[in-house]
Parts: sequence; structure tokens; C-alpha cells
Amino acid sequence: MTPRAETTVARTVAAPRGASWLETIAVHAVFALVVVFFLAPFVWLFTAAFDGRAQAYIRLPEQPTVDIFVRIFTEHDFARALGNSVLVAGATMLLDVVAVSLAGYSLSRLDLRFKSWITYAVLLLQTMPLSATMVPIYGLAQALGLRNSYLGLILIHAAIELPFLIWLMKGFFDGVPRYLEEAAWLDGRSKLRALIEIVLPVARNGIGVVAGLSFLAAWSEVLMMIILIDKQDLKTVPLAFYEVLRTRGGYTEVQYGLIAAMGVLYAVPVMAIFFATRRMMVRGLIATSRGL
Amino acid sequence: MVVARNSAYLIGLTPAALLLSLFFVGPALWAAYSSLTNLALVGIDAANPRFIGLDNYARLFSDPDFWQVIRNSVTFVVGSAVIGQFGLGLGLALLIDHAERRRWWFATVAYAAVLLAWVNPTLIAGFLWVAMYDFFFGSLNHVFLSALGLPPVDWLGSFPMPAVIVANVWRGTAFTMIIFLGALKTIPPDIYEAARIDGAGTWRRFWDHTIPSLRPIVALTLLSITMSTFGTFIVIQALTNGGPGIATEVIALYAFDSAFKSFSIGYGSAIAAVMLALNLVFAVVYLRWSRARA
Repeated sequence: MTPRAETTVARTVAAPRGASWLETIAVHAVFALVVVFFLAPFVWLFTAAFDGRAQAYIRLPEQPTVDIFVRIFTEHDFARALGNSVLVAGATMLLDVVAVSLAGYSLSRLDLRFKSWITYAVLLLQTMPLSATMVPIYGLAQALGLRNSYLGLILIHAAIELPFLIWLMKGFFDGVPRYLEEAAWLDGRSKLRALIEIVLPVARNGIGVVAGLSFLAAWSEVLMMIILIDKQDLKTVPLAFYEVLRTRGGYTEVQYGLIAAMGVLYAVPVMAIFFATRRMMVRGLIATSRGL
Repeated sequence: MVVARNSAYLIGLTPAALLLSLFFVGPALWAAYSSLTNLALVGIDAANPRFIGLDNYARLFSDPDFWQVIRNSVTFVVGSAVIGQFGLGLGLALLIDHAERRRWWFATVAYAAVLLAWVNPTLIAGFLWVAMYDFFFGSLNHVFLSALGLPPVDWLGSFPMPAVIVANVWRGTAFTMIIFLGALKTIPPDIYEAARIDGAGTWRRFWDHTIPSLRPIVALTLLSITMSTFGTFIVIQALTNGGPGIATEVIALYAFDSAFKSFSIGYGSAIAAVMLALNLVFAVVYLRWSRARA
């Protein structure tokens, strides 16, 4: 094995020779285009939300105001939508953390001849598009009384991300050495207690990623909310967003400021969570690509 | 013996297995079954569906709209997943990795910009591009084209498919970029150093060392983004809702409209079954490909 000191030396030596001015300009020009393309829509979103006379195009607000945000809460019952979304996404997160910890660990430690088939099956489920099964899910939810219910949304949202998260978490558990839990068993702990007290703390980064991704996914999911919820009390943030969006194309003036402000309130929480935990999240995502 | 050894683990798999059977396996089987009936959302066929064999499939395959929808879906997937998200994502990963080796901080800004579009909820992504493309007052026409002195373009009317593809590339490129950046970081720098001492040029090193080290994850990444793009619904619904005419009607929208607007669940299920079958074929092809390469 190469000692650590030598790799550090190799990295400094391997730093590329100085860039030509042509390369410097070309690479920065490409990055500038990328930044303009990816940020332009956000520039609109964050300026229009504070603009009393917002338009569909990017412009600086003449008199920046937070009136629109106040109106969202006073006239559009947004607090309820926000509360519903936090409740559904939070409960989905808890359910996923429990189910994924158990399943990921079990799949990692399972000792069966057909284990790789189970792993493949999980991967296959992960690729199944929700839009293909939405019709049966609608019928099922209707039959089980899961339409217009928190429980229905929570169970379905937890299920949607399950294959991907199990796949991800199995990878984390594969990296936890078995002698840790075997020592705990010898101390007389049950398998469940060994998992909770010994293995999970070691794999806590994985748990963090599972919690974060399941919350973000449930927060952003729309299709199931459209087909499962039609009661005002239960409306979530995306459904509230749809309500103001419907002003578009009618005879009334499009309220771009209102739409943008609601968009800001919908997008900012997930952006904040993701960027606060981005190193961990990105490492977790990369871990899923490590193959079978 | 096998069961005794694994019993605790089998119990551990149960909660997940229950949720997956209820919301993945069950609905897929139910779609396959009800595609053979004339089940409807409302009316007399809702209460007493009849078994009608392969009639739904016969109707589907003889429907010229369906073949247009398939063509649209293929164009959308190839344009937005394979060329757009994969091509752009891989290109950006290589460029950002290169720039980071040179310690150019602007690479981090570009990286964050791409990531932001991906983290943002899909529905917002759809609406942001509705505003960008707006004919009279959208930023593209009113700000960018007018600054260049060019006449406005009816983006969603004249170029609907490229327009939805661009919006979806904007939304989804970060995933491929993240995965490949991660893979590039695992290439030990001494490999490059050794190659350079051997006198290999930049392109030679790229083809001989960079590309082969990325190959194992290509299939899995392509599988992942192809499938999620194939099921795209929200972005297109927000932008064009399948129009003008059926120019951007992809298979997910078609299934939704048949079931929830025309109320024919049986027919909608046949579309869903076709989607699932295509999906399975894709997945098997990709997995065989990745194993052949590994």
C-alpha cells in the first residue's frame, strides 16, 4: 500500500501545468453560460416575489415589498398548506428511516443463495415510473379509504422512495464491519438492539441522507397529491400553488407576484435543507452508483 | 437451517416488503389485470366491469395517436435524458473536475447553479419555464432576444418539443453531474502522473484512463435517468399539457388523460401495462450491458 504521505505528494505533483490564456477564457465562458442558463429562472422568481407589479419577465422591483407574502398568509390560508406539507413530509421521513434501516441492514446481512435476485428486484422497482401505476394506486386508495387522508399520503410517499433508499442504505451497511455487531451479540444483545445501539451510530451518515432525501422527495412530490387530495383542509403547498396557477389563462390578470412568492416559500425550505447538508447528500448519492 | 439463520433479517425486511407490495407490485399486477376489462371510473362499467380480453390493446395499437405518443416519448427521452442530462451532465463533470484541479473558484459557482435547479421542486421548475417562454412578456423574448435586437419567438407554439426538453434538461442535469464528479474524484492522481511521465498527452490520458474508469457507472446512471424521464409528467403538464395538439403528449400524460379525463380505467391500464413492459425491457437491457462491461 502507498503510505498516505506519498499520495499527498503525488497529488501536488499531478496538479496540471499552468493554463494557457485561451483555455482560461474558454472554460470561464462556458461556466458563465451555464450560470446564466441555470440561474436566470431563479433571478425572476426571487425578484418577482418582492415586486408589487411583477411581470413574467425579469425586472428589478421599483419598490421592493413583502406585501405579497403577507397576502399569501392572510388571503390564501397558506399556513394550513405549509402545516400539512410539513406534517406529511415529516411523517414520511420518520417512516422511511425506520423501514429503510431495517430493510437495508437485513438485505446487507441476509445470507441466501438468491440474495442478488432480491437486490435486482429492488433496483427494478426503483425504475418503475409512478405515472404508470397512478391509476391502480388511485383505485386502491379509494378502496382502502386512503383518499383525502394524511395516512394515505404518508404511506404512499414513504413507499415511492423506498427502493432507492433501501439500495442506498444497503451500501452504507455493507461498509460496517460485522465484528462490531457480533461482539454485541456475544454481550447478550438481541439483533435488533445490536442494530440500534451499535450499527446505526456507525452508519449515521447514511441515516442522515435517508432522512433528508425522503423529506425532500415527499415535499416535492405532486402527482399523488393531485389524485389523492381534493379537500381544502388537506391541501398541501403544491396544491395551494396549483390554486394560484389556475388564474393563468383565464379572463383575470395573471398574478405573477403571487405565484412567485408562493414558489419562493415552496422552494426555499428544500434548498436550505439540501445546501446545509450537501456534502453528506452528495456523498450518499454517489454511493448509490457503486453498482451491485 | 437457512430460514433459522436468516429469520431475524427476513422479519426486518417485512415492513418495507409490505409497503412495496401494496404500492408497487400490487398496482402493477392490478394494471395488467384491469387492462383486460372495460372498467370505467364512472357509469355502469364502473360497477360491473366485464372481461374483454385483448380488446383494449387492439384499440390502443390501432390508434394513430398512440404511435404519435410513443414517437414523442422516444424523442423526449433521447433528447432530454440521453443527449441533454447525460451529455451535459458528463461534460460539466469533466469540465468542473478539470477546473477544480486548476483551483478555479468559478467552477463551484457553476456547480451550485446546476444543483439549485435540481433541488428545486419539479412543479416550480415547470412554472419557472412557463414564465421564461411566455410569448409577450417571458424573459427569453422580452429580455434576452430583445437585447440582441431579435424578434420574439413563440417558443411553446413553434418549438414545443425542444422547449419541454430544455426545461427538463435544466431540471435534471445535476444528477448525472454529481455521479460522474464523484467517480472522477476516485481516479488516483498518480495514474495521470505515470501517464504523463510516459509522455501521454491530455487526450491520450483522457481516453486511456478517464473514460475507462467512468464506464462501470454509465449503464446504471443511464438506466436511472432514462426511466425517470420516461415517466415525466409534471414538467410537461405545466408547460404545454401535451399540446399544441398532441405535439408533446408523452405516454404518462396519455395514460393520465385516458383514465382521469375519458374515465376509461381499462384503457388507461392497458397504456400503463405497455409503459411497465417497455420499462422492464429497458431495465433488463441496461443491466445486462452493465454486467457485460463489469
